[in-house]
Amino acid sequence: MSITFKEVEHTYSVDTPFAYHALKGVNLDIKKGSMTALIGHTGSGKSTLIQHINALLLPTSGQVQIEDVLITATDKPSSLKSLRKKAGLVFQFPEYQLFEETILKDIIFGPKNFGVSEEEAIKIAKDMIQLVGLDESYLERSPFDLSGGQKRRIAIAGILAMNPDILILDEPTAGLDPQGAKEMLQLFKKVNQEGKTVVLVSHDMNQVLEYCDDVVVMNHGRVEKHVTVAELFKETEYLTSLSIDLPIITSFILELNKNGFHIDPSIKDINVLVQEIGGQLNE
Amino acid sequence: MNNMMFGKYIPIDSFIHRLDPRLKIGSLLLLLIAVFFDAGFLGYALLGIFVIIMALLSHIKVSQILKAIKPMLFMMAFLMIFNLLFIQQGNLLVSIGFIKIYDQAVLQTLYIFIRLILIIVMTTILTATTKPLDLTLGIEHLLSPFKRIGFPTHEVAMMISIALRFIPTLLEETQRIMKAQASRGVEFSEGSLKEKILSIVSLIIPLFISAFQRAEDLANAMESRNYNPEAKRTRYKQLIWKISDTISFACVIMICSVLVIMSFVL
Repeated sequence: MSITFKEVEHTYSVDTPFAYHALKGVNLDIKKGSMTALIGHTGSGKSTLIQHINALLLPTSGQVQIEDVLITATDKPSSLKSLRKKAGLVFQFPEYQLFEETILKDIIFGPKNFGVSEEEAIKIAKDMIQLVGLDESYLERSPFDLSGGQKRRIAIAGILAMNPDILILDEPTAGLDPQGAKEMLQLFKKVNQEGKTVVLVSHDMNQVLEYCDDVVVMNHGRVEKHVTVAELFKETEYLTSLSIDLPIITSFILELNKNGFHIDPSIKDINVLVQEIGGQLNE
Repeated sequence: MNNMMFGKYIPIDSFIHRLDPRLKIGSLLLLLIAVFFDAGFLGYALLGIFVIIMALLSHIKVSQILKAIKPMLFMMAFLMIFNLLFIQQGNLLVSIGFIKIYDQAVLQTLYIFIRLILIIVMTTILTATTKPLDLTLGIEHLLSPFKRIGFPTHEVAMMISIALRFIPTLLEETQRIMKAQASRGVEFSEGSLKEKILSIVSLIIPLFISAFQRAEDLANAMESRNYNPEAKRTRYKQLIWKISDTISFACVIMICSVLVIMSFVL
């Protein structure tokens, strides 16, 4: 197991009138090499949960194990740096973290903090900027001259340049245009297929269906479900109770089935669906 | 950063919370002046007791007051060391090499320490028991006599309330950026001086950029709603002066007068 939570509780501002119990007895095992979606309403504890993965937050009680590093309320690992390198966290709207004069300097900032030499880091930066869909001519430009979407790519390149084993993304496509969002997700899928564990916080069930293997559903600070994507979208009533919309393709199949078709609702791909419909029409 | 207590409103209910903001601001001003009258240790004991009573009435926890004092400790220590070393009056107490400490210096330093603590605690009581909006409303009311001589009371109050409004937002933003940079391997509390400076730069630049962005957004939002500082306004929230306010104010005036008299008599 790559990421393990055992009875993790987290309370913000303990012992003040502002105290807020954000995580309540969270148990979770996220498989190494999986692409796991984390869904749930605003305030359900998603952001709190992911910040435990690279020890930005420490559990109030319980324990978190990230590969061989154990984090509990009292003994935090002597060096958080190795953990931060292992688990790269991309915050929501990560473009806010840009600060250097040039994009190159900003991308190599992370790797250099983790002890990568300057030359090596520049080499990585050149790879990363292409990976996120921009070209090398951008490296000498100021990150503040770019559009919002481009800034986002640079910020993500800055995290990928650290070469983390686990990549955690908090709504990475919020505010991006559909094409940009698609490219981002394909990038994360590619990173995942290269063997990295990816945890993706998302509100878009279409993304969850298309790109993720497993889903963790959070509600009121608890992990309510940890199932495969196919299993989750079978439970239409449960999802309705949380007012989570089904992916467009799934709800379309369910509508078809109501009207006499017999199509497997776990179909993810539009082309497969088209063939299936065609086949059943010919029968 | 989340533990920043100084200037934070604590949403509970107490006698002090219910007092009129005008009274609280006025009293703080009077008490601040009184602190600087040299009424000897007896005077400070009296004022100290008064402040303790206020703190008790406001239901603020001791730990919260201590948290407000904590960030000031460094500055206080700095001030006190300078005072100890540079005031050279009275009898020589200790002399180690070039360091000479006089009894007057010790006395003065002690006074400064007591004054600073009193000021911090009193200010904390004001900000902890008064909502920022009430505070600005109070300031606006207290400044209103100056409107006649062309002082832009409303603009000043608006500026103060915007500044107060954005303190928590900026703190939140700071924390967010710190976390984002920590995720990129910045360690804000460790490393050499050069590393520390670089880590602060990685915090301050994004913070400035977002603050300016916010300022522009806010200005646009106000403008698009046709905000005009000169417009005549009515208020939903009315300040009502109650009998408890009069009594409290009488107490404050009494304490201040006693201190002033003591400082002249002693």
